[in-house]
Amino acid sequence: MGFAQLVLRNLLRARVRSGLTLVGISLGITTIVALGVITAGFKSTAGAFVQSGGADFMVAQEGAADMSFSTIPETVVPQIAAVSGVAAARGALFHFTRAGSNPLFLLLGVTPGDLAADGPPLVEGRYLADGATDEIVLGAQGATDLNVRVGDALTIDDRVFHVVGVVQSDVLWEQSGALAPLVTVQEIANRREAVSVVHITLASGTKRDEVARRIEDEVPGVVSIVTADDIGKIDSGFQLLDAANVAISGLAIVIGGIGVMNTMVMSIFERTREIGVLRAVGWSGWRVLRMILLEALMLCFAAAVAGSFLGLLAVQAVMRIPSVRGFLEPSYEPNVFVQAFIVAIVVALVGAVYPAIRATRLTPMEALRYE
Amino acid sequence: MTNNASATTDSIIQVDGLVKNYDTGAVQVQALRGVSLSVRRGEMVAVMGPSGCGKTTLLNCLSGIDDVTSGRVLIEGTDISTLDDNTKTSYRARRMGFIFQFYNLLPVLTAVENVELPLLVSGTSPKESRQRAIEALRRVGLEEWAQHKPGQLSGGQRQRVTIARALVNRPAIVWADEPTGDLDSATANDIMGLMQQLNREQTLTFVIVTHDPSIAARCHRIIHMQDGRIEREVVNQEARVG
Repeated sequence: MGFAQLVLRNLLRARVRSGLTLVGISLGITTIVALGVITAGFKSTAGAFVQSGGADFMVAQEGAADMSFSTIPETVVPQIAAVSGVAAARGALFHFTRAGSNPLFLLLGVTPGDLAADGPPLVEGRYLADGATDEIVLGAQGATDLNVRVGDALTIDDRVFHVVGVVQSDVLWEQSGALAPLVTVQEIANRREAVSVVHITLASGTKRDEVARRIEDEVPGVVSIVTADDIGKIDSGFQLLDAANVAISGLAIVIGGIGVMNTMVMSIFERTREIGVLRAVGWSGWRVLRMILLEALMLCFAAAVAGSFLGLLAVQAVMRIPSVRGFLEPSYEPNVFVQAFIVAIVVALVGAVYPAIRATRLTPMEALRYE
Repeated sequence: MTNNASATTDSIIQVDGLVKNYDTGAVQVQALRGVSLSVRRGEMVAVMGPSGCGKTTLLNCLSGIDDVTSGRVLIEGTDISTLDDNTKTSYRARRMGFIFQFYNLLPVLTAVENVELPLLVSGTSPKESRQRAIEALRRVGLEEWAQHKPGQLSGGQRQRVTIARALVNRPAIVWADEPTGDLDSATANDIMGLMQQLNREQTLTFVIVTHDPSIAARCHRIIHMQDGRIEREVVNQEARVG
């Protein structure tokens, strides 16, 4: 019989108690994993949009509460284009609206010229014609979801569009949404002469970070979004997700730690005489401490495995919702699972340290006399 | 039977002026008040006396399970009262075996796994541990019960497992605290016979705390305690060792 085997037997002796503790911790881990995968997915989906149409980065309104609320006057776009190192600046306006059964359908307003120059590749039809106001180009997924093809009419916000093309985009929001003339989207969204973001293409030989800083210096009221993490600067939703992640991890540690401590303290009280016997037959206090810590670690490791699995199932369930499917793509980054396992280890240590120290402080005689 | 209080030169246990006080907060209890004694290698000694006279405290102090307040406890020439906890623990693991009244077996482990417990700390390989545990169980006549858990064994069988656990590390001394206290007289007789056999065949030293005069009568020497002191020692000539 090995040491680990004894530890496992100790855990299995109170199956219901160990099982309930495991369920409690694994639910915390489930939340961490699910939220982590969704947050990472949201970031990578939004991050892909930063480089939409081959752009090097994008510019948004400084201090905007949400990327879709970002408002930059259309007159600022030429100012940005005039900054040294900028080869092209393309304004785009977000308008999230209901289309079919999708309540979060993205209608992206772009100038037909920009779309023709840097738009995603066409699968069918053509891009928007200059001067047209009732044409629309759908992302391939958006077309499938709405069951429309080139030549069909599509009504969005009481406005009838003619579908002229279907594109295949690496940017999920474009792939599941649609591109329409900027002036039309400005009218529908009631945000005349405004864009949400400006995509920047650098002139050759220029450095991205330098140009990004220069734009912020020379054009008041805008902020450069260079990476997905920068989106947090203008999107409080990102900050909220990050904060929720930290808060849930913290809560999982506190609640899980108390649960593990309760389990381990009960277990140690019940086994005090046994610990006395182990000490009498030659087990050092350190070995007893290791046994108790290992019991807690094994319990929490099992909870981390179960919780990760349940977290993945939860993500799959969330991704069955069509509006979510068009809005974000889950990102199974190893960091999320590393974080879950770190939380589980911390829970085990927090929960087991007190009972372990208590057990090792007992002299063999005290433990043997314990009733 | 004759009185015998003198130390012998081949003693495995040598105790001089052993004092043990317990501080209960309000009151200081003098559990041992200057105990001196000597036990020879291969001797089987019974410690008797009324409840609260200090028998179990003496056994705990001699085995290093409890600290001493003052005095000297030499085990195989080593003063264990001066050793730190880790060294004492390691010494117990290598040189001592324990038999308790209520067996104190781990209920989640089988008989053979319980017997292996002391070997987990000695660096013995799992394979050798298993062989030695089976051998110890064979010596106490329980080889066929090796895979049974304590709950599936009778009181006598459980005590035999405890004895096997005490033997598995090939100790020099076995400490037994009321080893037959929870057994009926026939089973108690069996267990005592087994300990006598092990004492004879392996020259194992036994120190047995007991209330039972019939158990004590089968030991080489009986130490009678009263109020934390040795009141008298009686040598049983019929059972005398060496």
